[in-house]
Amino acid sequence: MTDVRAPEADPFESAAEQDDREDRSRDRAAGTLGFADWLKWGWRQLTSMRIALVLLFLLALGSVPGSMLPQEGTDAAGVQQYYTSHPALAPLLNHLGLFNVFAAPWFAAIYLLLFTSLVGCVVPRTFRLAGSARALPPRAPRHLTRLPRSAEYTTVLAPALAAEVAATVLAGHGFRLRRPADASGGAWVSAEKGYLREVGNLLFHLALLGVLVSVALGGLFGYKADRLLVQGTTFADTQSALDEFYPGRLVTAADLGPFTITLNRFDASYITSGAQRGQPASFDAQISYAAYPGGPVRTDQLEVNRPLSVDGAKVYLIGHGYAPVFKVTDARGQVVYDQATPFISGSSGNFLSQGVVKVLDAQPEQLGFTGVFVPTAVEAGGVLESVFPAADNPVVSLIAYAGNLGLNSGVTQSVYQMDTAGMRRLTADPQLLLPGQSLKLPGGQGTITFTGYVPWVSLAITHDPGQLPALICGIAALGGLLLSFMVRRRRVFVRARASGPGTTVQIGGLARTDASGGFEAEFASLAAELRSAHHQAAASRQHEGE
Amino acid sequence: MPVNLALGHVSNDFLIAALVIYSLSVVAFAGDFAFGRPRRAVASEPQVRERASTLAGVGAAGAAVAGPAAGAPAAADGGPADGPAAAPAAAAVPDSMPAVAAPPLRAVAQAGRWVQAAMALSAVAVVAHTAAVVTRGLAVHRAPWGNMYEFVTALTCVAAIFFLFVMVRYRAWALGVFVMGAVVVALGLAETLIYTAAGQLVPALQSYWLDIHVTAMTLATGIFFVAAVLGVVYLVADRYSRRVAAGRAEPGNGIMRRLPGLEQIDRLTYRTIMFGFPVWTFGVIAGAIWADQAWGRYWGWDPVETWAFITWVLYAAFLHARATAGWRGRRAHYIQLLGFASLMFNILVVQVFIAGLHSYAGVS
Repeated sequence: MTDVRAPEADPFESAAEQDDREDRSRDRAAGTLGFADWLKWGWRQLTSMRIALVLLFLLALGSVPGSMLPQEGTDAAGVQQYYTSHPALAPLLNHLGLFNVFAAPWFAAIYLLLFTSLVGCVVPRTFRLAGSARALPPRAPRHLTRLPRSAEYTTVLAPALAAEVAATVLAGHGFRLRRPADASGGAWVSAEKGYLREVGNLLFHLALLGVLVSVALGGLFGYKADRLLVQGTTFADTQSALDEFYPGRLVTAADLGPFTITLNRFDASYITSGAQRGQPASFDAQISYAAYPGGPVRTDQLEVNRPLSVDGAKVYLIGHGYAPVFKVTDARGQVVYDQATPFISGSSGNFLSQGVVKVLDAQPEQLGFTGVFVPTAVEAGGVLESVFPAADNPVVSLIAYAGNLGLNSGVTQSVYQMDTAGMRRLTADPQLLLPGQSLKLPGGQGTITFTGYVPWVSLAITHDPGQLPALICGIAALGGLLLSFMVRRRRVFVRARASGPGTTVQIGGLARTDASGGFEAEFASLAAELRSAHHQAAASRQHEGE
Repeated sequence: MPVNLALGHVSNDFLIAALVIYSLSVVAFAGDFAFGRPRRAVASEPQVRERASTLAGVGAAGAAVAGPAAGAPAAADGGPADGPAAAPAAAAVPDSMPAVAAPPLRAVAQAGRWVQAAMALSAVAVVAHTAAVVTRGLAVHRAPWGNMYEFVTALTCVAAIFFLFVMVRYRAWALGVFVMGAVVVALGLAETLIYTAAGQLVPALQSYWLDIHVTAMTLATGIFFVAAVLGVVYLVADRYSRRVAAGRAEPGNGIMRRLPGLEQIDRLTYRTIMFGFPVWTFGVIAGAIWADQAWGRYWGWDPVETWAFITWVLYAAFLHARATAGWRGRRAHYIQLLGFASLMFNILVVQVFIAGLHSYAGVS
């Protein structure tokens, strides 16, 4: 039974990489060791299969906290929250890098050791493969019936001729052949096939290395940015215009593409009935863009799963919300604010959104409003709730303040939050406004009008030069995997011996690997083919003789 | 396009029917254990330990070329053994599975009434199950694996189809009670705990990559499901054979006697995982391409991505462990079961309870 042969017993020396790894881990030098010996010993340990296995485990284990704890890269707010809820534990976890596992030095140590181990194993194997690709298969053993697969029959052909016929058949199947140098060893053929298995195995491991390099490439030369864009407005891809900018290590603001994008229109539709009521059905952003300022303007439709490629970067639709439009007149009766103000929806669902309006130019005092936008408002027990994500019954609820917004203090403020420390509350209760309604501020401080609302979208802009290489390497890894799983390395031997009046043909075969099985079937069909070839050759020979 | 509710109900009925018929097939498989004609020559009951090392592989016994030249001794199969039970298997121990000479379907026919009934019931159940998945897909006008319920329904369908093939091809019906039993349990839990009515998908899932990525993941999960059940059977059989070897258990346990040898279970599991692993790898790559289209990065260590990676690493560790001395056999199976545990954790815990971009389970 070939396929379950343990590696120790494997006759395929050149491909027996596993044994090699094990042997190397076993030969622990005894007695006194020089520094070089220690290094050598360490290297052998590192490249042993056992250590590779341990490192694989560590890699799996090390990834676990990355999914259980909030991570800075994907959920910075979650990390903040964790600090508030676990004030004692959080600094310790942070010290261990557990809030940024996949960038932590200890995680890097695991995968770098693993890849070093991999290189230490794969490179020597590549050389060995190159060597074995030039080498011939071994001589045919004397007793082929002792091989895992064998067959025997007789023919009237002379032994040399029988071997010749067998060689032709095997060559026709793409086997690499070896024939005896002289006639003293008898008539035999050695045939070997399936070198692609080892090629596939090496390709798989090298491609994984390529994936790692591609990821690193993206980390060095790529960037990621976010931008909130209100319907009807335009932005240019420059650092100052971006809300968030996460550049790679070797990226500067000058590397940003100077393209511009205008959001012409955004539509969201929702399922209106049934159990799935309120679930989004489609998002669709109509945009126009130019690859550089003043360049030709094109229009496109941005959807989820359908990004825009422009100027080497990709632009994704990743979120949306409502921006109520407010018009504010101050005590003098002058219009000091008239614009759409993006409100951000929290976790409360159905786009109940919060935001602030900061009116810096109001006289005699600055004005500020904190507000809630409710797309489909229903009052339940004195509390406003949104019962549907679309703006079917939009209402804003505002609290007005007057005083100093504190924007001159030099401390940067979020546009979604207001520092009310220097402000005086003007309205005791939140004031509800429908579109078109106004709120007169007490003391003649002015008026705010809720004139309407427009949607906004949030866009992600990414550039990743490692993307294509990573894809190519991923496909190469998969191809290598399939090759190494599906190709069998196998040997077939044929010996022809004169016995009595005719010739006894013995066929033996063995396959390394218990991979895909099926060698028994291949051997059976090869043996049948050899037999019928011999039979035919004998028949035609007889025919000629007559 | 609106959901076809009537067709959705048809799908539900098919699934209930499949569940009932699967259960009956499990009863029939168990009936074979209890009342079936023993397939082993009882007279020369060999030591279980020896049986474990019988190298007559899955569908490979007597592989010497059939025909006039078949005089080649079948004992040539007795090569060096692998695994913990390396006792020499010099004699050609009767194989627990019928001889290979008969084509698979005839082998089923020869296996006795209980096996015939169980296999027929399994086949009918698989047809009903497939019909349930297909009608669900037609009802919702998309690939029917867009939420947890649909995913479990589809992956158990894959597992059942795959194992039906394995049972016929490798005459492994002695394992049917375990795999089909697990299918019944998984399907029953899906039906009672996470049933979700036919419905539409959120825009993030409206992509042809759903068909590619989730299909691959469903296939791979179904295949790993079979491997996990085989792994558990392996560990139980292995424990039993070690207890027998240590004199702490009686040889000749009725159920154990009917199981294939350890070596065969091991190889069947290995091949199953070798089939599942590239599919899983492909699914992860397809997911990365989709993530790049939908979220602007191909890999972002989203919790579900992280656990898909952990699963991949553990199954890769299994494949390597099998080629490492001291890790073959039992330990390798612990690793693959750990891999399947991480896969289940990903589906049942991470996707449902841990907030991330993959929160589509539709389980409330």
